[in-house]
Amino acid sequence: MTQRLTVCLGLTFLLCSGAALSAVQNTTAVFEEPLLITSAGQNAEVQLAAVLAKRAGLDYILSKLATASDLENTKTLTLVLGASLKGLGAAGLDVDKERERVRALVTESQKRNIPILCLHLGGEARRGQQTDDLIAEFLTWAKMAIVVKSGNNDGFFTKICQAKNIPLIEVGKTADALEPLRKAFKR
Amino acid sequence: MPKSSEKKKQANQNHNQWRRLRATGCRLLLAAATFFVSCQRQAIVQKAPPADRRLPYNFVGQNGLVVAANPLAAEAGLGMLKSGSNAVDAAVATAFALNAAEPFASGIGGGGFMVIYLARSQKATVIDYREKAPLGASPTMFREKGEEEGMWRTSTGLAVAVPGALAGWDLALREYGTVSLARAAARAIEIAEQGYAVSQTFSSINKDEYERLAANLGEGSCYLNGGLPYEPGDVFRNSDLARTFRLIAAKGIEEFYRGDIARRIVAAVQAHRGIMTLEDLADYKPEEVAALRGTYKNHTLVTAPPPASGGLHLIQLLNIAENWPVKGWGHNSPKTIHHLSEALRFIFADRERYIGDPAFVSVPVNRLLSKEYAAAIASRIMPDRPLDSYPYGEFDESAPTQGNTTHLCVIDREGNVVSLTQSINDFFGTGIVPEGTGFLLNNQMADFSSDPESVNAPAPGHRPVSSMAPLIMFKDGKPLLVLGSPGGTRIFSSLAQIVLNVTEFSMSLDEAIEAPRFFSYSAAGKPRPISVESRLPEATISELQKIGHEVTVREAYDKYFGGAQGIMVLQGKRIFLGGADSRRDGWGAGY
Repeated sequence: MTQRLTVCLGLTFLLCSGAALSAVQNTTAVFEEPLLITSAGQNAEVQLAAVLAKRAGLDYILSKLATASDLENTKTLTLVLGASLKGLGAAGLDVDKERERVRALVTESQKRNIPILCLHLGGEARRGQQTDDLIAEFLTWAKMAIVVKSGNNDGFFTKICQAKNIPLIEVGKTADALEPLRKAFKR
Repeated sequence: MPKSSEKKKQANQNHNQWRRLRATGCRLLLAAATFFVSCQRQAIVQKAPPADRRLPYNFVGQNGLVVAANPLAAEAGLGMLKSGSNAVDAAVATAFALNAAEPFASGIGGGGFMVIYLARSQKATVIDYREKAPLGASPTMFREKGEEEGMWRTSTGLAVAVPGALAGWDLALREYGTVSLARAAARAIEIAEQGYAVSQTFSSINKDEYERLAANLGEGSCYLNGGLPYEPGDVFRNSDLARTFRLIAAKGIEEFYRGDIARRIVAAVQAHRGIMTLEDLADYKPEEVAALRGTYKNHTLVTAPPPASGGLHLIQLLNIAENWPVKGWGHNSPKTIHHLSEALRFIFADRERYIGDPAFVSVPVNRLLSKEYAAAIASRIMPDRPLDSYPYGEFDESAPTQGNTTHLCVIDREGNVVSLTQSINDFFGTGIVPEGTGFLLNNQMADFSSDPESVNAPAPGHRPVSSMAPLIMFKDGKPLLVLGSPGGTRIFSSLAQIVLNVTEFSMSLDEAIEAPRFFSYSAAGKPRPISVESRLPEATISELQKIGHEVTVREAYDKYFGGAQGIMVLQGKRIFLGGADSRRDGWGAGY
């Protein structure tokens, strides 16, 4: 019984680590530096994205209120998805104004052929109607998406990414996003 | 014959005595059996909480009950009760444990208020251990920072007020407890040392406050996991906090206010551009003050007085609600939400105008709490539309006055009650930890007004206005409801809704706590939007918008509205029911 359990646990571990490994190995280097990091929804995870970019050795600029003019000299637009009423309040914005800001950024990036990398690092806690509305609108423009798995328990990201043929990389924890992020950039 | 008649008489006497004894014995046996059977009948079986924490669920106790914002903390308090200690001992043990198990909401780096009810003497009293401004504080200290004022008020050493928690707990134990501070800290030391799996609540708050924490904490701080926020399930340990508690247990609170810990606090505050000195810490004294009292219909409300404005405003709001047929309007109906939101806007106008530290400014408590004033406000509220502006009440100011948080409630077998609310203000406070101590320093200076002319402007030794409202509600002179919540300025609005849910809408305590909430306020007399949880029906939201309200829809169960904890006492049956808010990690433990 104990042996069977050990074998099962071992297989589960191998499968899980294999899946994680394949996610990282499958990450194709499609983006170029420097990257502009901003949020879609003024969430706190935008800071985490900047820390991961720093640890990945990427050349990045973090701007919580980036506008179209900030795309000058940028080769990748990174959108960290997730609405935070606290963050919106601190920035003096409401969801509609924030949506307009990000729309303008996305429109300009399309004009300039700047690819978009979408991140969702808040997991299950960073879901909800307002976040989902932002994801539904902006994820469709992404060239790749990296998400913390618990945020995709209901397959919301999977559905959009499959429909738009967007590579989706799931990671277990925020810290696990570091490797796929590193590998997503041409060096 | 005489001998035989004496013998007979003696025998009769013996027989009668035996019969009396036997009858008494039978009665005793019967009483014991009845007691045993009745005990058996009344023994409460605590079912396991449902997997879905949103479902209303009563924690049950017959001899004692603790409800707190974290299961480990509630169990720490219960352990104290089971050992024969009283409600005050258990409350302090729970508060210590919360510092270890819910460190982002309260702790020895902060302060609070404790309402104590002593059953035998039927006395209610309040321990005020609110933080105080350092002696170097001035009304313009934040205003002069210009555009960076917000950051200075929340994330620097200038945001740290002199902590009062430890002195307050110590005072409560000395006056009303039965155990030492060391004994009360024992379980908290174990929790800090052994660690625990981080909850979803801890993790999401850790992520939300990451920017401030990353700026103020070193890479190796236990409040971040390898420099990043904790994920649910990660293990959090705080050996520095365990060491600090041990030091306090061995040397007493002097170590915190005048010893090595004091020196570390001052060094940390000043390294982050603050102004606190050793003198500020040495001068700190908690106060025992008279409880604030009010009524709602046939209930008596007992709470903390200013500078804890929450209790005063809670009574004010319920006074106004008394003028309306709230029950007839229906729970969370557009009419109910409209009227209570309008009342809140008037109350916030009074709050801005009048509430400051009563040790330094005159707060017209009696006028604000009068039923006549409440009726006057109620009569100004239009039934079909919001007003354009909400003026504060005009009172004679010289009239004499009377005298991101956590909440816990305790009741013991004697019926003693503690309702305790405390805080380090924002979640994770300033994010500043004195070196090697493991506890977070508050940013309670942010509770002072930014207006240098305000009655609540920062000034030396002043206590900032708080929205805390630890409450004990009595019916027929006996405790019926013990209640409180975190949630900043939403505290008294949320508590009033819970009281109305119980008294007007006949909900169980936990149903009342879990029910969807709303909130509104005014700023400079102008209305702010009504915030609602998204569980409110769309039709209700539309109706509010139709009559002219701006509505902000928040998450279904939003921490913005607090995380209430409560105990309901079923006096006749001697049963305690606990309600703990699923908006955070609320939990109860009884026996």
